[in-house]
Amino acid sequence: MIGGRRPLSGRKVGDRRVRIERPHSAYFRYTGPGQLTAKRAASAPKTAFGRAWARVKALAIGRPLASEEEIGERLSKTKALAIFSSDAISSSTYASEEILRILALAGGTALAFGPGIAIAIALLLLIVAISYRQVCMAYPSGGGAYAVARANLGQRIALVAASALLYDYVMTVGVSVAAGIAAITSVAPDLLPWRAELGMAAIALLALANLRGLRESGNIFAVPTYAYVVGALAIIGLGIARIASGDPAASFPTPRVEAPPDGFEVLTIFLVLRAFAFGSVALTGTEAISNGVPAFKPPEARNAATTMLAMALLLGIIFIGLSFLAAAFGLAPDPAERETLISQVTRTVIGDGAPYVGFQAITTLILLLAANTGFNGAPRLAQILAADGFAPRQLALLGDRLAFSWGIVILAAAAAGLVFVFDGSVADLIPLYSIGIFLSFSISQSGMVVHWARERARGWTWRAALNLGGALVTGVVWVIITVAKVPHGAWIALVVIPGLVALMEWVRRQYRGQEAELQVAADAAIPRPHRTQRIVVPVNGINRAVVRAVNVGRTVGPDIRAVYVTDDPDAGEALRERWTRQLPDVPFVVVESPYRSLIGPFVAYLDVLDRAWPPEQEAPTTVVVLPEYVGRHWWDRVLYNQVARRLRSTLVGRERTVILDVPYRRTGSGHEPPASGGQPLPRGVGGQPAPGDDRPTEPGDAAS
Amino acid sequence: MAEKPVPAFRRAVVALSGGPSDERILRLVLELARPTHAEIVAAHVVEIDWTQPLDANVAEMNEEAQSVLDRAEARAEHAGVKIESVLVQARDVGAAIVDEAVERAADLLVLGLPYRTRFGGDFAIGRTVPYVLKNAPCAVWVAREPMPEEQRP
Repeated sequence: MIGGRRPLSGRKVGDRRVRIERPHSAYFRYTGPGQLTAKRAASAPKTAFGRAWARVKALAIGRPLASEEEIGERLSKTKALAIFSSDAISSSTYASEEILRILALAGGTALAFGPGIAIAIALLLLIVAISYRQVCMAYPSGGGAYAVARANLGQRIALVAASALLYDYVMTVGVSVAAGIAAITSVAPDLLPWRAELGMAAIALLALANLRGLRESGNIFAVPTYAYVVGALAIIGLGIARIASGDPAASFPTPRVEAPPDGFEVLTIFLVLRAFAFGSVALTGTEAISNGVPAFKPPEARNAATTMLAMALLLGIIFIGLSFLAAAFGLAPDPAERETLISQVTRTVIGDGAPYVGFQAITTLILLLAANTGFNGAPRLAQILAADGFAPRQLALLGDRLAFSWGIVILAAAAAGLVFVFDGSVADLIPLYSIGIFLSFSISQSGMVVHWARERARGWTWRAALNLGGALVTGVVWVIITVAKVPHGAWIALVVIPGLVALMEWVRRQYRGQEAELQVAADAAIPRPHRTQRIVVPVNGINRAVVRAVNVGRTVGPDIRAVYVTDDPDAGEALRERWTRQLPDVPFVVVESPYRSLIGPFVAYLDVLDRAWPPEQEAPTTVVVLPEYVGRHWWDRVLYNQVARRLRSTLVGRERTVILDVPYRRTGSGHEPPASGGQPLPRGVGGQPAPGDDRPTEPGDAAS
Repeated sequence: MAEKPVPAFRRAVVALSGGPSDERILRLVLELARPTHAEIVAAHVVEIDWTQPLDANVAEMNEEAQSVLDRAEARAEHAGVKIESVLVQARDVGAAIVDEAVERAADLLVLGLPYRTRFGGDFAIGRTVPYVLKNAPCAVWVAREPMPEEQRP
């Protein structure tokens, strides 16, 4: 093979041919003139450590996927109901309990208000669902609160909606996982002390599954939702049958409630409103369908709107049904959270046999699925925000498995932190929940009013009225929830949401500034550089790495000088003597540093050079050529270039300064080609140039 | 027990010209190769005229020649079939294809043939196909493109 060409003889004399090597084919594929597409091998790690890490990653999250492997599946109404509604429907597992937990503060008799409050919340759900049907119709491309607000109410309000949603996505993961673990600890109370650890482990598993590129479109995701709906409806049916048959256990007895440490409260309208505020968590997740309209089979908007109504009806029936059964059987929430209310209801209605354990397992599954909707929604919203320049760009990057890895990791960390801080207690987490979601409900409904008023399409008045009603109701409820929950921890939401808005605006300002700074006029012909270049090479002696750096510097421009910073004047003089002998055309500057600092005096020298430049001339670009010795392995690299690394990080922000790294790679043979001339340089002893020593030092000392 | 499919071939050399017939013959060969795990060698020959030395730097930097094989590799990868690609410079395309097939002990050689006519309207088969049909020791399949609409009787 000569130069990638291999001459071959044929069967007949004269039939010669040359086989051409295709060096690019292992890594690239030509896909057009001047256009290459990288194959997986091009991204494969080259070092042993990199390969080992890639193997670990592949084991944990699977092999990397190419962008073209993204699957886009359209969902039928039945499948979409299961997939998008898990969050909303699963909230029935804890919403009733939270209403009763507040009412119980006023004693057992107050619990009789439970079903009434549940009905009021179900009515609110109906209003929200009807309003959101309009969002599905108006924004078939997926109208999250952020998109609706951005289109109709301006960027700042859209950011409030986005921050509120991001906050509540974290809460969705935290609360759903904590409630899922509570379903387990209700069956196995021995696990109660480890509920926070179990919750964090569940979040880690969900994060891992999502980093693997988990898609909710699989049939398997429809199973828990439908199993839960069927199970809950069956329990409600059986319970009602027992009430109808005159079962003495279901005679609406007044439950015994333990007195709170500060004694019972008086049942006031404020306590009822507080119970209403705590129960309103039932509405979380209602918006999921309107965000996912494009995933529906056509006609997308109509199918999504129908699914929205079906979800609201199912959630309403289950929520009211469970609250009603709790009242019928005289059940009250356990203040120590040993057993959930839904577990008590199930056990009371169907006993504590296998069906009870099975239903608890299904409850855990639907709650984990609900947590997973947070993993789907938050990274996607973060990606939209990043694309708009309001969040760091990393959040818009698809990982190896086509998942928004950064968003997933940040969400998991935040949710796990929440579960840890609140020790996995659903009752402690609920006060923080649903503030964001009602804020985004209200914003998106207000945005819809503006949308209809602008469009003025047929029937816009009643459509706008419907959304205005939705906006007002959800707005009022938001105020009630905020007032009721702030003393119990919801102030965190009031700090986090504006904080996120400020953070996003700050990020946007940074990116805008960068864009303005880097912008090049699209129609301008770009001239050659006109600024003078000054080349400065920091040296630590004369060695192969330094010689290579000086030679690279010589190719950049004629104004080159070497700078030696030292605390030893004798060493400086010795090196100067040798330098002028061996590199006479490169001026050599010794900077004495009696305070032993290397970086500061070097940078100060550069500043002095700049100041000495004639003010009437355009300031030059300073090119700092850094000789670097690169070790053979990652572990021996820590021994070298520490000063070079510090120097680089100091110079990165310096004006009109270019850093040019010249690596000298260790080959390990010990027989390097000569650095200059035909004769190899003699090896130095001890690695440091001694005064009067004209032998070169080891390259390992370069810039270190 | 299900019968194992009888392989139509074990190793096929597919001669690619860079024309529209490439797609047709590749689809055919990949479909047949997949169930039997047969090997495919995609060959593209760049003809070098006598004004240049045979080992002139022609195909190496020729994106078009490289992309003929890259497209074939991408199709095979998508179909899950193992493929080897070979780029050759030769004075005569037919001889180079036959020599590659012989050297690789291929049991099938596949060529595409565009429907072209000479001045006067007669079908032009060119030089390569007759050479391969006459000299290839293995089976040879020639897939001719359909006749253009306007030339159909």
